[in-house]
Amino acid sequence: MRAPVTIAKSGAVWRESTPIASKAYGRALLALAEADPRIVCLGADLTGPTETDLFRDRLPDRFFNLGVAEANLMCVASGMARTGDIPFVNTFGVFASRRSFDQVTLQIAYPRANVKLVGFMPGLTSPGGPTHQATDDVAMMRALPGMVVMEPACATHVAPMLAALVAHDGPAYMRIKRGDLPLLFTAETCPPIGKGQVVRRGRDGWILASGVMVTLALEAMEMLAEQGIEAGLVNLPTIKPLDVALVAELAGEGKPMLVAENHSVVGGLGSAVAEVIAESGHALPFGRLGVEDVFAEGAGAPFLFDKYGLSAGAIAGRFATLSARNRGMSPVP
Amino acid sequence: MSRAPSPHRLALDATALAEKARRLRRHVVRMVAPIGEGYAGQGLGAADILAALYFHEMAYDPDDPGWEGRDRFILSPAHYGVGLFAALAERGVMPVQELAQYGTDGSPMEIIASERLPGVEATCGSLGMGLSVGVGMGLSLRRHGSASRVYVLIGDGEMQEGSTWEAAMSAVNFGLSNLCAIVDVNDMQVDGATTSVMNMGDIAAKWRAFGWNTIALDGHDLDALLAAFVSARAHGAGPTVLVADTRPGRGVSALEGRKSHFAKLPPELAAQALAELEG
Repeated sequence: MRAPVTIAKSGAVWRESTPIASKAYGRALLALAEADPRIVCLGADLTGPTETDLFRDRLPDRFFNLGVAEANLMCVASGMARTGDIPFVNTFGVFASRRSFDQVTLQIAYPRANVKLVGFMPGLTSPGGPTHQATDDVAMMRALPGMVVMEPACATHVAPMLAALVAHDGPAYMRIKRGDLPLLFTAETCPPIGKGQVVRRGRDGWILASGVMVTLALEAMEMLAEQGIEAGLVNLPTIKPLDVALVAELAGEGKPMLVAENHSVVGGLGSAVAEVIAESGHALPFGRLGVEDVFAEGAGAPFLFDKYGLSAGAIAGRFATLSARNRGMSPVP
Repeated sequence: MSRAPSPHRLALDATALAEKARRLRRHVVRMVAPIGEGYAGQGLGAADILAALYFHEMAYDPDDPGWEGRDRFILSPAHYGVGLFAALAERGVMPVQELAQYGTDGSPMEIIASERLPGVEATCGSLGMGLSVGVGMGLSLRRHGSASRVYVLIGDGEMQEGSTWEAAMSAVNFGLSNLCAIVDVNDMQVDGATTSVMNMGDIAAKWRAFGWNTIALDGHDLDALLAAFVSARAHGAGPTVLVADTRPGRGVSALEGRKSHFAKLPPELAAQALAELEG
């Protein structure tokens, strides 16, 4: 029998009842650019998929399509930034990182060029398999000195995050799911660059997450509550510079901590948090949930999140195990 | 034929430029000699092009290398830094005595030129990037209504980097008439002659095929260089490339024409070279 097709256009991995907004990025970028003539928009033949058709149609003189040529794209952005513009470079996360990493390193990060890289289809939100799934972009970008690395969890956070990136004079990389994003929080709750958002405190420990994993963590918390486990949640929209003070403070509680990321467990948010904990001297049950050290495959996001252990159920299961270990018990079956 | 002098443009004539180029070559030899080996071949080979740019063609303010109204020069093979530093010092960005710090620990005059030194527009030692940065600058300058121009020196070996052609394609697509590339065709790369490592055939034909206003010339002929820059400025339809035939080590008989990426320059050879460049 044929397996069900789950390549939903939105790539939604959350419950159907989750409220959503579409093209939050495209709208926010256009609004910022209309108020700030320094902003220019660059792309590489992915105008629709990066929501920049809105920008192109409204501000065509400030829109530059470089074609399928990402190495050139990155260096052109550097040249424009060196001449006073603020380029937003829009492509898929795989192309912003792997495809043009030398150019990003030497022409954007090294000179601290005021370029904002925006990488769509993070992790397993792309149905395109390893060619299109950015499962290692955070690891690469995080290794670059001075590079700010962000990922919004919520549609309403996109505009304030973009405004913060424009106010920040220096290079940044924002990975963002294309199309629909969940509506979780008010804009006022969006923390500044480098700070985390304590969404909810919980008696039994913490889930730390970014991007779509925040929505799934909220679902996981409901599942855990049914088992009598009360997990807290921190949204970390800035992966670098990490909110080290907050992570260390939470680690100091000594309670279980699970980091959930839509990325390889090698070098991403989980690694960043683990580094802070290891150097803090605190001991606690700790886990990293993400794509294990494997390449995934082309399929629908709900299928992939399930198969590669990124689903709400997987988060709940991992947290329950950590929690049980903390109490010297077996996890609730 | 040549440009009129202005406060920021020296517009020296070919005779005076030849003297400047000779001085640049002396600096190059003096800078590489203490190390005993280095990018002398490239620095000597590009001296005429650098002299024509910094002492005739480009608007530049040595007291303010970041002056907004300047013409930009991007050195895509940053290995030629020794030549660029010589030109910057001779132009007055820094005292020529400071060139003695070239390649020493802690000096901003790194062997592969970096923008730690004011006057270096971008750090391009990883090849195939400079022309793209130039395209970006050209786009922004045009967008801001600036009269500034962008000059990018690229190596012939560097043309093997595919991104060179991404940049070439985009400069024509955007009609960047404020952009002028100079290909230093010295037929030399690390593993030997460019024509033997990865023969690219008719270089000028390739640029023409990409739609560039293409001028083939002798990269040591200062009159030809000045005329080509005039032609580039007059060409309003898009970018211009100067396909400049040069000889590595030009001006030093023991080095001229030797295809050595990192040439040996022992003391006796350096002394002989300086004597030859005495003029």
